[in-house]
Amino acid sequence: MRLYRIAVTIDAMNPPARPGEAPMGSKKESLVQIVGEENVLDDAGTLEAWSKDESFAPHRRPWFVVRPKDAGQVQALVAWANVTATPLVPVSSGGPHFLGDTVPSVPEAVIVDLSGLNAIRKIDTRNRIAVIEPGVTYTQLDAALAEKGLRIARPLAPRANKSVVASLLERTPTVIPRLNYNLPEPLRTCGVVWGTGEVAFTGEAGYGPKSLEDQWKRGASQVDPKGPNATDLMRIVTGAQGSMGIVIWASVRLDVAPTVHEYTFVPGRTLDELTGFWQKLTRTRLGDEVAVLNAAQLAQLVGRDAAAIEVLKAGLPPFVVVIGLGGAALFPEERVVVARKDLDTIVTGCGLTRVASLPGISPADVAAVFEGCSAEPHWKVRYRGASQQVFFLSKIEKVSGLVATVQAAAEANGIPAGEVGVYVQPQHQGVVQHVELTLPYDPGHARQAARMKAAVEKASRDAMAGGAYFSRPYGEWADMVYAHDADAKLVLRTVKGIVDPKNVMNPGKLCF
Amino acid sequence: MESSRDISRDAYRAIEDIVGADNITDDPAILDSYAFQWLAELVRPERSHYMPRPWAVVMPLTTEEVVAVTKVCNKYHVKVKPISTGWYHWAAPLKDDEPTVQFDLRRMNRILEIDEKNMYAVVESGVICAQLQAEVMKRGLNINIIGAGCSTSIVASASAYFGGGPSSYFLGSNSDNLLGQEWVTPAGEIVRTGSLSSGCGWFCGEGPGPSARAITRGTLGTRGGLGVFTKCAVKLGPWEGPPVLQPTGKPPAYRLPIPDNFRVYTVGTPSFEALAEIYYEIYDNAIGYIFHRQFNLAGADLAAALWLTYLDPNGTMNDVEARSKDPEVQKISEEARVSFQIILQGRSKEDIELQDRILDEIIRRTGCYKVERFCEADFAEFTNMYLQRMGHKHCNFVWVGGYMGSWMQAGTPDFVKGYVKTAIDGFERDQKSGLLVQCGGDAMMGCGSTLGGGGFFALEQFVSYDPNDNASVDACIKHMEDAITDCKANGIPLGKEYLYLQIGWTDERIWDDLSKMPQQFVLNFQRKIKEAFDPNGLGDRNYPWLPEGWGQQKTIAAGSAAVAGVGKP
Amino acid sequence: MALEEFRADAMRCTRCTYCRWIPFDLIKSDRFAKGCPSMEAGKFHAYSAGGRLVTALSLMDGRSTVTEKTKDSVFKCTLCGQCDVSCKMCRYDMEPLAAMRELRFDLVENGHTLPQLEPVLESLRTEFNMLGKPADERGDWAKTLKVKDLTKEKAEVVFHAGCRYSFDGDLGPVARLSVKILQEAGVDVGIFGEAEHCCGGRAYGMGYRGDLDNSARHNLRAWKAAGVKTVVTPCSDCFHTFKRLYTAEAGSDIEVIHMVQFVDRLVKEGKLKFTKEVPMTVTYHDPCHLGRQGEDYVPWSGTEKKIFGQAVAYDPPKPRYTGAFGVYEPPRDVLKAIPGLKLVEMERNREAAWCCGAGGGAREAYPEFSAATANERIEEAATTGADAIVSACPWCEQNFGDAVEAGAGALKVFDVMALVGMALGIEEEA
Repeated sequence: MRLYRIAVTIDAMNPPARPGEAPMGSKKESLVQIVGEENVLDDAGTLEAWSKDESFAPHRRPWFVVRPKDAGQVQALVAWANVTATPLVPVSSGGPHFLGDTVPSVPEAVIVDLSGLNAIRKIDTRNRIAVIEPGVTYTQLDAALAEKGLRIARPLAPRANKSVVASLLERTPTVIPRLNYNLPEPLRTCGVVWGTGEVAFTGEAGYGPKSLEDQWKRGASQVDPKGPNATDLMRIVTGAQGSMGIVIWASVRLDVAPTVHEYTFVPGRTLDELTGFWQKLTRTRLGDEVAVLNAAQLAQLVGRDAAAIEVLKAGLPPFVVVIGLGGAALFPEERVVVARKDLDTIVTGCGLTRVASLPGISPADVAAVFEGCSAEPHWKVRYRGASQQVFFLSKIEKVSGLVATVQAAAEANGIPAGEVGVYVQPQHQGVVQHVELTLPYDPGHARQAARMKAAVEKASRDAMAGGAYFSRPYGEWADMVYAHDADAKLVLRTVKGIVDPKNVMNPGKLCF
Repeated sequence: MESSRDISRDAYRAIEDIVGADNITDDPAILDSYAFQWLAELVRPERSHYMPRPWAVVMPLTTEEVVAVTKVCNKYHVKVKPISTGWYHWAAPLKDDEPTVQFDLRRMNRILEIDEKNMYAVVESGVICAQLQAEVMKRGLNINIIGAGCSTSIVASASAYFGGGPSSYFLGSNSDNLLGQEWVTPAGEIVRTGSLSSGCGWFCGEGPGPSARAITRGTLGTRGGLGVFTKCAVKLGPWEGPPVLQPTGKPPAYRLPIPDNFRVYTVGTPSFEALAEIYYEIYDNAIGYIFHRQFNLAGADLAAALWLTYLDPNGTMNDVEARSKDPEVQKISEEARVSFQIILQGRSKEDIELQDRILDEIIRRTGCYKVERFCEADFAEFTNMYLQRMGHKHCNFVWVGGYMGSWMQAGTPDFVKGYVKTAIDGFERDQKSGLLVQCGGDAMMGCGSTLGGGGFFALEQFVSYDPNDNASVDACIKHMEDAITDCKANGIPLGKEYLYLQIGWTDERIWDDLSKMPQQFVLNFQRKIKEAFDPNGLGDRNYPWLPEGWGQQKTIAAGSAAVAGVGKP
Repeated sequence: MALEEFRADAMRCTRCTYCRWIPFDLIKSDRFAKGCPSMEAGKFHAYSAGGRLVTALSLMDGRSTVTEKTKDSVFKCTLCGQCDVSCKMCRYDMEPLAAMRELRFDLVENGHTLPQLEPVLESLRTEFNMLGKPADERGDWAKTLKVKDLTKEKAEVVFHAGCRYSFDGDLGPVARLSVKILQEAGVDVGIFGEAEHCCGGRAYGMGYRGDLDNSARHNLRAWKAAGVKTVVTPCSDCFHTFKRLYTAEAGSDIEVIHMVQFVDRLVKEGKLKFTKEVPMTVTYHDPCHLGRQGEDYVPWSGTEKKIFGQAVAYDPPKPRYTGAFGVYEPPRDVLKAIPGLKLVEMERNREAAWCCGAGGGAREAYPEFSAATANERIEEAATTGADAIVSACPWCEQNFGDAVEAGAGALKVFDVMALVGMALGIEEEA
């Protein structure tokens, strides 16, 4: 179909080095040389733990887990991987993992555990930029920012050990739509060890010397995400599941933390009843946090255990739009008063009612969901022991129908509709809707697990057929997506061939 | 064997068969209307106003025609260079010895969709900002209009060029706002990006997985150097003003009445230090719909005289001269010397009143003030018109028809504060010859932020020269070279003057400079992208790359920094 | 003037393309944003004012020669002047309309003429009208009038009917009505009847400067002989020619008044009262030559001077023609004064009005282009919900009438004076 050649070669489908080409012993020795003995793990327990996650990704044991402590070690690892044709799977967050992206897709892989690169390199209060390493968690960053009256746009109830950088690289939706000027926000620039082993910075940082310190000495910041030149290198590593390179630092935009913050709620019987309302809300950029949740989702986020979740669920309205009204900087109280009044005008105009609280849910519960991290165990596993998420992007008018599609697929596979969590997160200032359904199940129950797998597959296929955009194609979604998207596949394979020609970076994900 | 003339004739006929005889021409005079370009005299031999003449100009109507013509060009090894409105020397063919088909995309001028609920619009390349803004405002929405004004193509600024402007602070830059797009590669293949390529519509520019837009939309886009962007979707933002703008008054300074839920101010500051301070306060307080430093394009010494004259429908340049000597006007000049414009938009009466209060408090805290004369109704309404529609951007050329932007730097407010003195001193020095318009050293205009949400200030010096006077043209070139020297001497990254001058350089000179960049990864990446998507080399060096064998060892002279980006430290 | 005198304009053009659009501030829709009929027809940049400046430069510098395509790009233009208004939104040193005219003069003087125009010019030279009619029929419209014959008598005011009102039977009543109104107002008015000559303005627009000179010489001599101090005309082309071109090209100082200005004055002074209802919704089309090109002409002779080092000013100060002060309100005020009549505006109005398509020789040389331009205006008028499009220029009305007849819409086409007649209850027979 394509008349022109792809000048760059992709070794994506080449098998990794055969056993014998690089004996285990020599591999380990090399790794030890790079990161030190204590940071090379290959005991059975560790390898087994890294061979799977909460998703249905096929289990595959890595050969080593390595824990680099600085960017130089990361670069050396990638260089070594190129020489030895060893697949690397970069991981920044602590578990549990849910998306299959941290599970090797091919044998002989080395997990690169970046949790040790966890320095907050700089918090530039004046320009509201933080430069952080991939191992920095939300818990860690939240604490550092709170001291300075700042905050970062964050996802819904991340786990406490979730890497901020990983969350942003994966374009995990954030809960304040008005701050989401583009989908990667608040991610700005990155330092990357590309699959070739070269280090190059993205965005504004890509124009300066390859040293943050040198850039800071020159008064440069890492604010502008675009570039360098005619390329947006940051957008190559976002959504990549670690398949293009390893991010060794990233700059992120911060915001002034509100000093007055309240949550309010607009309940509805159906999504359709609420759609016009949250559309108007995001369109006018009113409110900080704006999210749409059903009773099951909210109960699972807040409830401490299955029993509590059941009780909560029973008392909550079927759907609710949660709105955070924050007052930051000057006149914070007045800001909230005005926002509340303007909100009421919209609520009334839509024939809805606003309530100040929800049954069984305290203000602290809501704040924890939207401003904090999930309590342990993680909310996704709290209800039935495990859950699967089906998520995609959608235009607003399709949200309700796509939710019904997924619910139907779940029900067809024996998952009670009442247990399915629904979370709609307006993104990109309301242009895009992130739709996420949580399907809880008992992982110890083999038949339930099998039916869940079938449910997820059917739900995904049906949603895709209904126009759902799987912009973050994890696991089996990748095949579904790229089978229908020749353009993206062409571009991404070309890019991959340039930045990781040996295909050492997390092979088997996406379309390479 | 066919001669080159035969090949040309065959290629012409083949293209004619695609677009129709009315939509292709090789008439020399008509080709000259494309070769003639703003800034050409700064880079062309003998100060010629002409860039290389295109071999033919073609006006496709559809993407399919663009594809078909591009394939013919591949067959006959004719370069392709698209323009939407064509307002830069780099819009034209760059080399004399390279036959180039100029695509004039103005027939592709349809607004394909305005999705009010999902807040985006889909347009073809020929649609200009003014057209789209007029339509989306009827739906309570607005677009970001870039600094170059509403005569520019949305596709050009979103997909292929820069995309910042006075409203980017609130409405997002057109890089932020780019959603799905359609790109015809130099090989003649259609590549769709974002949700569009997955068959899900135009609403999302990212993914699936990494974003394909990454390879063409960086700090700048490909500027016509890597195929043709035929359509794109852009995000829209809220507009709480009237559905149709109803200006009053007479030309040239129409006035746009200010609704009750808007405020329009010119705020003066005692210094650039104070400007940075008030910037940070405004940024932290998240107020402002439009945030711009507009009127200083005329130079701080003359701005008051010019704009007060502009308000008079009978005003002439002679009146500007007289006004500039008027002590009352000089007083206003001083008040407005380090000033900026801010427009507030409120959702409600209470909202706008609170924003007003916040601004007043910020002004009080920072020791700034409202420039009284510029806040009076006539001037404020003119300001409102100017900045909401951006239909007066050709005032960039108001003095004598020649304008070149030097010192175009974007960065944090502190960064901007740090380099303005060098820029002002340098410009003032170069004005002394009398060969540039003597408007004061500070003719620095720019937008509050080139990034959505603020935090990234951008200013540039508005250097006015007479394109009809070679001595003045030479003075402008000297100023550009001086600015580069000043930047290097003061550790300031090179600005737009560098990009402008580069158009006249040899490949080798450009590559030599590129090879001194501290990070060359992207230039090698772009070479490989070009090899993949432009195998016959139909695009030009507006999409830059570093040939194999260049670079890596050399470093740029101490004290200087990036050389190929606009204002990147 | 010579083409070379516009070199600076060309060199200073920045190719901004404002000349293709109505002033951006005035754009109210995508549909009616464009300002240049020529660009819509010819598409390539050379069909814009900026493009023609480059063509002029290219020809002057010998970079190109005149081809059929070049001629097409130069002449396929109504010279409506919208580009001039838009250019001057931001420029004080450009005269694109004058430059485009000069380019035509240059081509014509060098023999690059359009054969389609030859019969019209022949008619002008031999029969003194632009319609190919016998000169001796020119005064037929006034045969029933009792009015001074200025070939024999003297009067302060001459009513100049113009070619269209003189020869177009449908418009004869408007001319007669006009004379009656003038007479009833006590004006000392006369006409030249069959001795009236074409104003020459249309020939000038076609690139024939010499023919304007001939017409001007004749008319000014005749007026002087008849003691005329003021010329009143219902034709906007004639109005522009007398007011602007005769003053500029022939040094005329005669007062020029369009009939709608005169009626407007009478209405406002209470000397003319409309007694009949005209229950109609109408939209008013600003003729280019009454509107943006209808500003007072102020003689100027001087040179460019540099101020502030390089900025362009003029010594003495040079008057600006930006379209700001065209005759826009009098026709509207007259219409608004008519009982029962509702006036609605098109999006493109006053200085931003889209051209009717009849000017600049377009109607004669490029009938399809001319018709397409008229159709565009009819479509715009139709969107207002009006029953009729009204103008104050017979050329506009003819082009619109032809367009409607050819199926462009169901609108009626009126001259303002025709509606004045209805409001006065005067039924003039055609």
